[in-house]
Amino acid sequence: MGAVFREIYAYRELYKNMVKRNLRTRYKASFFGFLWTFINPLLQLAVYSIVFSTIMRMNVEHYPMFLFVVLLPWIFFASTTQEAANLIVSNSNIIKKVYFPREILPLAATTSGLVNLGLSFLIAFIALLLSHIPLTWSVLALPLVMGLEFVFTLGVSLVLAAVNVYFRDMEHIWGIFMMAWFYLTPIVYPLNVVPAKYMKYLFLNPMVTLMEAYRDILYYGVFPYFPGLGIFTIMALFVLIFGYLLFKRLSRGFAEQV
Amino acid sequence: MEYVIEAQDIWKKFRLFHDRAPTLKEKVLFSHRRKCDDLWVLKGVDLKVERGKTLGLIGQNGSGKSTLLKLMTRIMYPDKGSVQVRGKISSLLELGAGFHPDFSGLENIYMNAAIFGLTKKEIDRKLDEIISFSELEEFIDSPVRTYSSGMYMRLAFSIAINVEPDVLLIDEILAVGDESFQKKCFNKMKSFKTQGTTIVIVSHSLGQLEMLCDELAWLHEGTLLRRGLSADVIGEYRATMSGQDNLRLEAGNRQQAKKSKQDSLASDTGDSSEIGANISFSTQLTDQAKRWGDGAVEIIDVALLDSSDQPRFTFKCGESCMIRMRCRRKRPIDSLVFGIAIYTCDDLLCYGTNTLIDKYLVNVEDLGDEIVVRVSVDKLELLEGEYYINVAAHDEYSSPYDYQTNRLRFSTYSNIKDAGVCRIEHHWSII
Repeated sequence: MGAVFREIYAYRELYKNMVKRNLRTRYKASFFGFLWTFINPLLQLAVYSIVFSTIMRMNVEHYPMFLFVVLLPWIFFASTTQEAANLIVSNSNIIKKVYFPREILPLAATTSGLVNLGLSFLIAFIALLLSHIPLTWSVLALPLVMGLEFVFTLGVSLVLAAVNVYFRDMEHIWGIFMMAWFYLTPIVYPLNVVPAKYMKYLFLNPMVTLMEAYRDILYYGVFPYFPGLGIFTIMALFVLIFGYLLFKRLSRGFAEQV
Repeated sequence: MEYVIEAQDIWKKFRLFHDRAPTLKEKVLFSHRRKCDDLWVLKGVDLKVERGKTLGLIGQNGSGKSTLLKLMTRIMYPDKGSVQVRGKISSLLELGAGFHPDFSGLENIYMNAAIFGLTKKEIDRKLDEIISFSELEEFIDSPVRTYSSGMYMRLAFSIAINVEPDVLLIDEILAVGDESFQKKCFNKMKSFKTQGTTIVIVSHSLGQLEMLCDELAWLHEGTLLRRGLSADVIGEYRATMSGQDNLRLEAGNRQQAKKSKQDSLASDTGDSSEIGANISFSTQLTDQAKRWGDGAVEIIDVALLDSSDQPRFTFKCGESCMIRMRCRRKRPIDSLVFGIAIYTCDDLLCYGTNTLIDKYLVNVEDLGDEIVVRVSVDKLELLEGEYYINVAAHDEYSSPYDYQTNRLRFSTYSNIKDAGVCRIEHHWSII
């Protein structure tokens, strides 16, 4: 296990450069450039707010903020994993020609996603202040929750990146899967609208714990439910280790498959 | 003995699919009918390279050289056996891998050097050297997409070569930039050798290999055929390659001979009183080859013989050989002159002569209808290359009985690197 970290540490410059490149090239040559990092979630917010606070009324106070604080972390998870599915294939030009620890690619992609999340939270803070929702000490737990989401997202990304090389349908399947997952997680609706008989199944969904934690911290201004996060941590670490081992195993054939 | 590269009994296969990738439906329904073959590109290769040695890999296309190199860089992994490389590897397999066209040269230096595993500090230290080696000082802040292909290669090469690797793996890329830049690269290679860098080079340029490598390994169809000192292996390799050259030329010449045989039938009924001074036939045999004349004497067969009278098409520069022509006289004639001419494959006349010029009198009365002409060459001092021979039989006023261009192709090879068309015997004396 130590060897893993040593090698990634040795290639830390590559990791840094890739994160930088990801952040800079995503919106390169578009008119708004880096601003898209903020425009994109704001527009999504506008769409969902119009639908769920004027058409399908949700009866939630400050609905846009209620949605915004979990929409941002969801976008991080969804877009990073979706991108990860195609990561090895789209980087085939370097995979085929140079050796470097391949896990740097999903690691850098997830990191740049996390950086984007951090930046868009700055926008969220401003929006919360404008909506007169006070920030409390519970914000101290935010980095922890973001860190946990990072671990989970990285684990899922490793699996998707590796599997999609051999089974290209994966990225399309994942797209559909993510849409279903989005609506099965209390993001656009509050947890308490779910009928009681389904409630116990809902907590099998790890994203429920995570999204509720974000909402507790930023919208309700309370500390998250830590025992729930503890279980999430164990699960996320398990996914990460499984993902890493699978990725390592499958990465031997990447150069021939892409 | 300290080995930096150790490859033990490595086997590597590639899967060849005969048609497009299967869809899910086909995968499920016809899983037993998978149309693919395993192609073993490496079959049990053992190879060890000592620290500081330069090893060249030679072999024909598809012999597994590049695959072996890729296994050493850990881009691919063997199906069986193990490859161990100790120390920092820099590979020049494909230059500029990972360059981003929209980023400046400078940013790409950081990115590319990072791929080779350098830290920021190390890159900062090397930066000036990389830029000055690439000679791109003025353009280093422009995006790489505005570079010419030569500039692009120069930048990539400068990075790869300046990472101070312990092991440098090179695949056929010593043809970068203009001549002066190539010279610089070449010198850099040589300085690597003195610094104790281990180098493995794949190349088809035997000349370059001979100059750079201590040893050569010759791969043939996935196995290591021979390993030894550069000069020895190159000699053997050349001899074998010329054997294959020989087969290729033989096939070409056989076809040529068949063509001229078929063609000669036309001349049998030819009437010498046709229009055009004495020319009864003129044919385009192939793209290059032509044949014309009135057919009174016909050259039936042309062969190039080696010293033991065996037909051959490749000769070592300086070897003895003989050109033999078999001819048939079809009608009575007054005079007869035979001529030969040798051209390079790009149509430069190297040498031409005939019996008249050489004052060899052909006595027509003494000859039978079947004539054999032999031209002995003591030393065929033509430098490495491909050549063809024109043959002719004509009368003393040069009106042709049978004139055939491009009748026979042959090639020569040489271990000496002198330049030009033919070797002029010479001696140096310096006082």
